[in-house]
Amino acid sequence: MKILKSWLNDWIDIENISNSEISEALESLGFEIENKKELNPNYENIVVGKVLEIYEHPNADKVRITKTDVGNNIYEIVCGAWNFDVGAVVPVALPNSKIKDNFKIDKRDIRGIQSNGMICSAAELDLWDDHDGILILDEKLLPGTNFSTIYSSNDFIWEVGVTPNRGDCMSYLGIARELSGYFNKKLKNKKTNLKPTIANILNADSGKIKECNSYGSVEIENFNVTSSSFEMRYRLTQVGTRIINNVVDITNYILYDIGQPLHAFDRDKLFGTISVRKANNNEKITTLDSQVRKLDSNDLVITDNDKPIALAGVMGGLETEVSETTTNLLIESAYFDKVSIMKSSRKLNLISDASIRFERGIDYKIQKYGLERFLMELKDNQSINYSEINVDDKGNLDNKKVILKYSEIKNLLGIDLKESFIKKVLKFLMIDSELSKESVKFKPPSWRYDLDRPVDLIEEFAKHYGFNNFESTLPQGIHKNNKGSYWDLKSYLSSVLTSNNFQEVQTLSFVNNDKNFLFNPEKKYVQVFNAIDQSSKFMRSNLMSSLIDVYKLNYEQNNLSNSYFEINTVFDTSKNKNYEEVPNQNIVLGFLTSSNLSNTDTRLKDQELDLYYVKNILTQLLSTYDLEPISKPGFHQNYSFSIIKNGQIIGHFGQLATETQMTLEFNNEIYLGEIYINKLNLNNLKEINYVPLSQYPFVKFDLSFSVPIDLSAHLLVDEINELLIENENSIEIFDDFQQENSRNLGIRIITRSYEKTYDDNETREILMNISQTLESKFNITLNSSKND
Amino acid sequence: MPEVNTDKIFAAFLLRLEEVAKIEDFDDIEKEFLGKNSLLSEERKSLSSLNEVSRKKYGKLLQDLSNNITSKLDEEKTKFKSKFFIQSELNDNNDISIDWYKNLGSKNHVLTNVMNEVVDIFAAIGYTVSTGPEAETSWHNFDALNTPDWHPARYESDTLYLDNKLEKLLRTQTSTVQVRHMQNNKPPVYIVAPGRVYRSDQLDATHSPVFHQIEGLAVDENLTFSDLKGTLEYFVKEFFGKDLKTKFIPHFFPFTEPSAEVLVSWKDGEWLEILGCGMVDPNVFKHVGYDTDSQGFAFGVGVERLAMIRYGIDHIKNFYENDLRFLRQF
Repeated sequence: MKILKSWLNDWIDIENISNSEISEALESLGFEIENKKELNPNYENIVVGKVLEIYEHPNADKVRITKTDVGNNIYEIVCGAWNFDVGAVVPVALPNSKIKDNFKIDKRDIRGIQSNGMICSAAELDLWDDHDGILILDEKLLPGTNFSTIYSSNDFIWEVGVTPNRGDCMSYLGIARELSGYFNKKLKNKKTNLKPTIANILNADSGKIKECNSYGSVEIENFNVTSSSFEMRYRLTQVGTRIINNVVDITNYILYDIGQPLHAFDRDKLFGTISVRKANNNEKITTLDSQVRKLDSNDLVITDNDKPIALAGVMGGLETEVSETTTNLLIESAYFDKVSIMKSSRKLNLISDASIRFERGIDYKIQKYGLERFLMELKDNQSINYSEINVDDKGNLDNKKVILKYSEIKNLLGIDLKESFIKKVLKFLMIDSELSKESVKFKPPSWRYDLDRPVDLIEEFAKHYGFNNFESTLPQGIHKNNKGSYWDLKSYLSSVLTSNNFQEVQTLSFVNNDKNFLFNPEKKYVQVFNAIDQSSKFMRSNLMSSLIDVYKLNYEQNNLSNSYFEINTVFDTSKNKNYEEVPNQNIVLGFLTSSNLSNTDTRLKDQELDLYYVKNILTQLLSTYDLEPISKPGFHQNYSFSIIKNGQIIGHFGQLATETQMTLEFNNEIYLGEIYINKLNLNNLKEINYVPLSQYPFVKFDLSFSVPIDLSAHLLVDEINELLIENENSIEIFDDFQQENSRNLGIRIITRSYEKTYDDNETREILMNISQTLESKFNITLNSSKND
Repeated sequence: MPEVNTDKIFAAFLLRLEEVAKIEDFDDIEKEFLGKNSLLSEERKSLSSLNEVSRKKYGKLLQDLSNNITSKLDEEKTKFKSKFFIQSELNDNNDISIDWYKNLGSKNHVLTNVMNEVVDIFAAIGYTVSTGPEAETSWHNFDALNTPDWHPARYESDTLYLDNKLEKLLRTQTSTVQVRHMQNNKPPVYIVAPGRVYRSDQLDATHSPVFHQIEGLAVDENLTFSDLKGTLEYFVKEFFGKDLKTKFIPHFFPFTEPSAEVLVSWKDGEWLEILGCGMVDPNVFKHVGYDTDSQGFAFGVGVERLAMIRYGIDHIKNFYENDLRFLRQF
């Protein structure tokens, strides 16, 4: 909400309080200052002028020439607007003045006639948007009067956030009430005696429904619809409201001033009794914005005898709108139920200044005052007549009394408050209260909905005590530096990957169907009901598509890298084993690398990575694991594997299907996979099994076998390990040479006994044993052996 | 007695040394002066024909020459070698100003770094990480957190729902983890919950449909507003530095009362809001099955905001585009 200092000063005397003090007060009262700014427009050389003569321009049809009295001179000024006549009092920007956007006005030749300045519109003076042409000023103003003396030229404006619990502060009265407590200054009284001069010709009541607690109205006759006062237009413009006419402007003005939404009807278009009811299903009304609104029984409508005339609390009806020809009015001031208005406004997507205030809850005792304030704004208008104000109040609303024990204050805030302080705050807040030794019984005022529990009042005490006046203490939990297994695991996996040149990324969780389908055609995807973007309305079922996007982006950006990982949640609609009622979701580590950097130079050209590189990364991550070939959508026919640890599948990895790689126009092979974080146990990954070091010399064999193409070399290694189980061993494949249908596998064995130095015979025996066992068990042939 | 002039031989040796051009030349010189066919060896052979006195005397003379040649040769050889290596090193001229080993991305995401740091700060005073699902029930996200039906946060314009009954949603705040944790654990509770949250916003400079928060919750005997204040002042000092001033201003969150926002005085004296906090509302305790007179506080901090403030990052979009030009800066 925007707060204008001059307007606020109507309610509380703050003229002499500095702007920074007021800022501080607003903030410490809980109004976040979103913006603040000094208003001091430059009206130098802009004066009031009186148009004495108007005549045609000899060389132009679209402009006229005026003779205008600007005080000490009478000038010829050319003007393009036609909305004024001789005698009009207007603002004149004299030569050497500046108007909106710092546009400089000087003497200027307009088609052969010298114009000594410019007659201005409201928009040209940066006052408000006005398409009527020149701004017509009060006839009584003397020519030559400095314009800044008739327009509040020096002012200050704050834009503050009002929290949703404080609907009562969405008005100048509300803000002033808070400040009056803070500065210990009384609120000014805005009351006059009203003297009704006509009888009501319509009846009005609040209907039979509880959603309208009270309905007030007043009838006004002989009203002249015109523009509202200069000051009102200024104030409304500053708070961001469009200027319409004096009726609508005053209703808006009262809404901002005291928080009571008003609505004006053209009384001559109403008939019988004005009342409130729930709309019928499929009932229609055309609202002020010319939209036909289809209603249902949750919406509230205002009706006369014949028809719905307004959508209660949200927007008026077009048919009964006040127009320029209106002379008689009915002004409505009602209290509608918060939730009803919220639902209607949300359903119809119609949010107005009025609906926002009803939603948050307005003062339930202020309806009559709202109408009085409307009439007060017309007090200078001698010609009008008005009726008695009629308010039909069901009296259903009454804030409850609450008891707050002093001990509760001490428990929550940790401080003892003096009785004098408590009394002072209760008085500030205009709360009815009875104090006893141990407690205070209080009844919040009619504008406060947020004080229905003891804790609510404690908050007020804390606020007025000043949050920054509390002591600071630091409580600590018992288990220090224990981040928990999930966080430790995540940190461990990240550290392994980052130390292997993998870059962590964070990608958005929304994807299109294709990205899920590429890798998970078998799953059903979680869909966002009110998606921001229809092209990505699904929650991702895998991280791999996102990583491909990241790879692609950086590849195209020519950024030098090829390895990425992300740890985040993936979703599908299957049953959630951990959390009932919500879709299945698992935290996954996704990783991707490619056979080469996205952009290489001559020296890095040979650094090709392959599937074995990724496998080594897995070993670093997981320590031990098994791989089993699986057929997986999106993956290479032969290079796609389940990762198995402790007997369960903990993830999968492989090479991106060639077709997909080609579709994406990648030159490099892509290797990628996922590991399900919840299936890992950090202790398990970091397990250390110490093997003592043998003190005896090693024997080393390089064996070369002829083996079938499809043999898994790992089986040979396992078998050798088994044969040498008593020893300290290092067994590695050092060569895998394939040609057509033949394949030679080189195995290097380094083994040490824990008991002795092997002699030549024993060494030969070991070699024999290994080669014979492997040959017979795997049906392979030893080609050569070398021992050193 | 046919004696050779050892001085002459040594002089000849020295002359030859001066001609050395390469390391192999030393071998030739050694062969020439000390080898089998050298004058010295020839003379040694003739020693046997001399009488004992002469033999001893002449033998010593020859031995001295041999020693002198050997030691001079070694000395010169060492000198030559060291000069040679120095020269060969001087010929190595790789231009170190080139970065042949490129700076590949190899870091955690800046958001992860910030989350790690915040978690570390709180772990040091006894907080443990807790987690919960990102696709949540409206009950956990709103009702249990005392958010009334009419609260604007529930609008479809703000919250992303997963069904037309608006019963399931993408959590809009990590406060849901408070609820889940308290449902399953008795006090005392000291937890932080870092994680992803979702809002219905288009990705632009200041908004993202996905962002990260870290929720904190402490429930223990006698925790008061002063404890909340001290805890968050500790956090701000640890994260931003000891010299930064903080202030607490009243705010409103449905699930805490009193509620506050914490502001820090930044470089140019501007106060920046960095987190929201408050004493846990009794209704929240009621919903999770705690005694309603339990006492505790909660806070929530935006991870992107912390990163943006600390590093002066201008676009929230940068966090999610994953352009390495951005990522590798942190």
